[in-house]
Amino acid sequence: MTDREMANLQNDARAEILQSIRTRLAESAVLNARRSPTLPLAATVPFVSDERSLVETFKQQLESVGGHCIVVSDESELTTALKHVVGEIEANGLETRRVALSDSPLLGVISRDLEAQGHEIAVTPSASDLFQFDVGITSAQAAIAETGTLVLEQARERNRLVSLLPPVHIAIVNAGDICATMSEAITRARKESDTSSAITFITGPSRTADIELTLTIGVHGPKELYVIVYRTNH
Amino acid sequence: MTQLSSETFDANARAALNDAQLRGALRNATSLFGKRRLEAARSLENWEELRTQARAIKDETLLHLDRYLEEFTANAEKAGVQIHWARDAAEANGIICRLARERGARLAVKAKSMATEEIHLNAALEANGIEAIETDLGEYIIQLAHETPSHIIAPAIHKTRGQIAELFTEKLGIEKTDDIAQLTITARQVLRDKFAAADLGISGVNFAVAETGTILILENEGNIRFTTSLPKTHVALMGIEKVIPRFADLEVFLKLLPRSGTGQHLTAYQSLITGTKRNADDEGPDELHIILLDNGRSRMLTHPTTRQALACIRCGACLNACPVYQQIGGHAYGSVYPGPIGAVITPQLFGLSKAAQLPFASSLCGACREVCPVKIDIPELLLHLRAEIKETSKVRDQRSEPVRPNRAEQVAFRLWAAVMARPRLYELSGKVFRFLQRSAARDGAIRRVNGLLGRLAPPLAAWTGTRDLRPIEPETFREYWRRAAHD
Amino acid sequence: MWSAVGVSTLEVLRRTGCKVEFDERQTCCGQPAFNTGYRFEARRVAKHFIELFEASKAEAIVCPSGSCTAMVHHYDALFADDESWRTRAHAVAARSYELSSFLVRVLGVEDVGARFKGRVTWHDACHGLRELNIRDEPRRLIRQVREAEFVELESADACCGFGGTFSVKYPEISTAIVDEKIQAIERAQVDAVVSGDASCLMQIGGRLSRVGSRVRVMHLAELLAGQ
Repeated sequence: MTDREMANLQNDARAEILQSIRTRLAESAVLNARRSPTLPLAATVPFVSDERSLVETFKQQLESVGGHCIVVSDESELTTALKHVVGEIEANGLETRRVALSDSPLLGVISRDLEAQGHEIAVTPSASDLFQFDVGITSAQAAIAETGTLVLEQARERNRLVSLLPPVHIAIVNAGDICATMSEAITRARKESDTSSAITFITGPSRTADIELTLTIGVHGPKELYVIVYRTNH
Repeated sequence: MTQLSSETFDANARAALNDAQLRGALRNATSLFGKRRLEAARSLENWEELRTQARAIKDETLLHLDRYLEEFTANAEKAGVQIHWARDAAEANGIICRLARERGARLAVKAKSMATEEIHLNAALEANGIEAIETDLGEYIIQLAHETPSHIIAPAIHKTRGQIAELFTEKLGIEKTDDIAQLTITARQVLRDKFAAADLGISGVNFAVAETGTILILENEGNIRFTTSLPKTHVALMGIEKVIPRFADLEVFLKLLPRSGTGQHLTAYQSLITGTKRNADDEGPDELHIILLDNGRSRMLTHPTTRQALACIRCGACLNACPVYQQIGGHAYGSVYPGPIGAVITPQLFGLSKAAQLPFASSLCGACREVCPVKIDIPELLLHLRAEIKETSKVRDQRSEPVRPNRAEQVAFRLWAAVMARPRLYELSGKVFRFLQRSAARDGAIRRVNGLLGRLAPPLAAWTGTRDLRPIEPETFREYWRRAAHD
Repeated sequence: MWSAVGVSTLEVLRRTGCKVEFDERQTCCGQPAFNTGYRFEARRVAKHFIELFEASKAEAIVCPSGSCTAMVHHYDALFADDESWRTRAHAVAARSYELSSFLVRVLGVEDVGARFKGRVTWHDACHGLRELNIRDEPRRLIRQVREAEFVELESADACCGFGGTFSVKYPEISTAIVDEKIQAIERAQVDAVVSGDASCLMQIGGRLSRVGSRVRVMHLAELLAGQ
């Protein structure tokens, strides 16, 4: 089929489908009950919004789905916190030698110690290389307290694959970027969708119950999710 | 691919009832899902309000579906998406196969998508020399087994770990183990290689936002993130009814869908994809193609009763609540869409005459309506379809092929109505039955009715196969009233 | 077909002080035809029902069946194209009540002077439960029955599998469904299962009898009429 024939066929298909819709809807017009107006979105139940509570709620929610959350009161404590997290992962019997970082400048700083300890560090390795890495570290552009969710935005950081391929994902998030509710997160995402072709919400490690409804953690996505929340200096 | 036919539903159901292992698996799965759904629904004070809102959003969308599809198309195209329109399954398969061939694709990885099963995409791809691998664990399992899914949310629910272990040993050559974690690791390893090598990623769409051209896909395993970010080309197939008006509307569905489907407050991952990457060296596919599929959906817009079925968000809650599904499982329906929702959309998408039994395979208990997050009145729809199927004398337009009428039943009901409209005839018929039942009753109950009487009155034989029948009492209420109770 | 139900209903209503009339010309609400897709035939029978009852001066039309009452409340669907009949149907429906709902919600009565010695449990008939919201009322009435020990049935609201012609079109599925109910009843170790719908009782009772159970089925009216 030539391109022109293809284009014509597509125009036909589009026209036919839209026409079918319009005709059927017109047929039903006489049967429609009084139309219910589109309801405005219900005002979300106001959430406790001071930062301390948001962090607490986020931590609780994340842990309830099998994620881990460490809170530090200062950016300067991140390096130590990261070392601690990596240590914990090793203690659980998981490999941590090869560590991939996203291109977030923050990570370059806090992961310097890891390199010194003998971990192999690479910043945004290629996809095919990434398959061999043990740990992926990214930041998160936002988080949702209500659900324990991380929000990763494509345009802000090269984090899409680093947060997916390695079996362990460590995410660093600023407490000030934790919003209270899914509603707020969606509002933010609406704006961000103009720029980011992919926005990913992550709530805990990957999972399945497809075999005999038995929960298994760690399928295709990471098996472990560690989130380090840091407060900004006031 | 072994697929039972809807036309042999009664035989399929009987076979399923004799499968003790299937029934055990169904009992566990449906009761667990049901329990979790209930807990999750109760976790939200405004659950009922959310259902109402969700339905209102869907109603609004469906009433202006053409407009919202055009808005979605315009915005998606602005963001770099290539939109395709497919009137039917053949056209959709043609488009996808052509896209694959043009790009020299040899291997496609697939995320779970009911729409792709509906059009039998995998078979079309294979016929075009393209290997299509399912990456959702449950779908991967049934693909290996050459079976079809038996549940919308948990496709391999009917298989025991032992069966899966044998399958993996046979097809993947691994050492036999029925340790679930080990089986999962095996699948993970096999599929990681496929993700790495795939030229094409194919997914479905849970919601498509008209306002921004965004598509939202939910999952727990991570295979959708792989499928939609690694291969160079991403093809997403969506039914035209998946579009919703505003980005903000997503919130309502994010609250309802995971809770209704698996009882989770939220699934592990949501991917909000708006067009293609802005810079060539960004992560993600180079191309995004979205195919808008009609395949009988626009026909359902004709009547408010049938239109509501297009509000379905494919959560599977109705399956778990249905006493019929709980006993027979999904395969018996002979359709990619089983259970209560399947019973109403299968005849409409694939033709009344091909699935004429399905609307009758329900006790109309209404449990499905109670759990549906978008308040689809499935019993109302079932009754509507039953009337359509039986009213074969009416002139029909193309959308419903005539179903061969059951002449005996037609005559029976005509007779029944004639008697019921005439009180004296009604009383007389009561006397006649009381006389006839004398031969059938034994020790105060009518037990097996076979032989001539059974052939004359099949319902009687069908009933008494497994249940006794209480005979009509010697004195009817009418007679009692006249005799003793008249004020 | 089950005259004891009618007799009991009459007894109970009179005991609560109602003056009861019974129009002998009544036959059926039309549900069997409607449920099987024969709307023309259902309409014919429904019209007879409406004509008959609209002529009555009674304040309430009481029916010992949730499914029949629900049918009457759903006459809209049958008369979608006929406004005049639809209006008449609404008028009749507005005065129509299922028995337990009438006693508790309209009369405000829970104790009807009943007595039954034994353990009983209640099965929620689907139409009554989901279409008419009848859940509390029968339980309140049963709790007032002297000497009766009320036991809540596991999954009391699970369908019995009758579903009208479904029970004979798909007898194996219908039986598989009722067997779940039977198992719950055996576990409850009761003397009687009570319900507000004769069709459910026919299904459950028919199976209980076939499997040789000593548990009997009773219509709510029968339980309430007992003294």
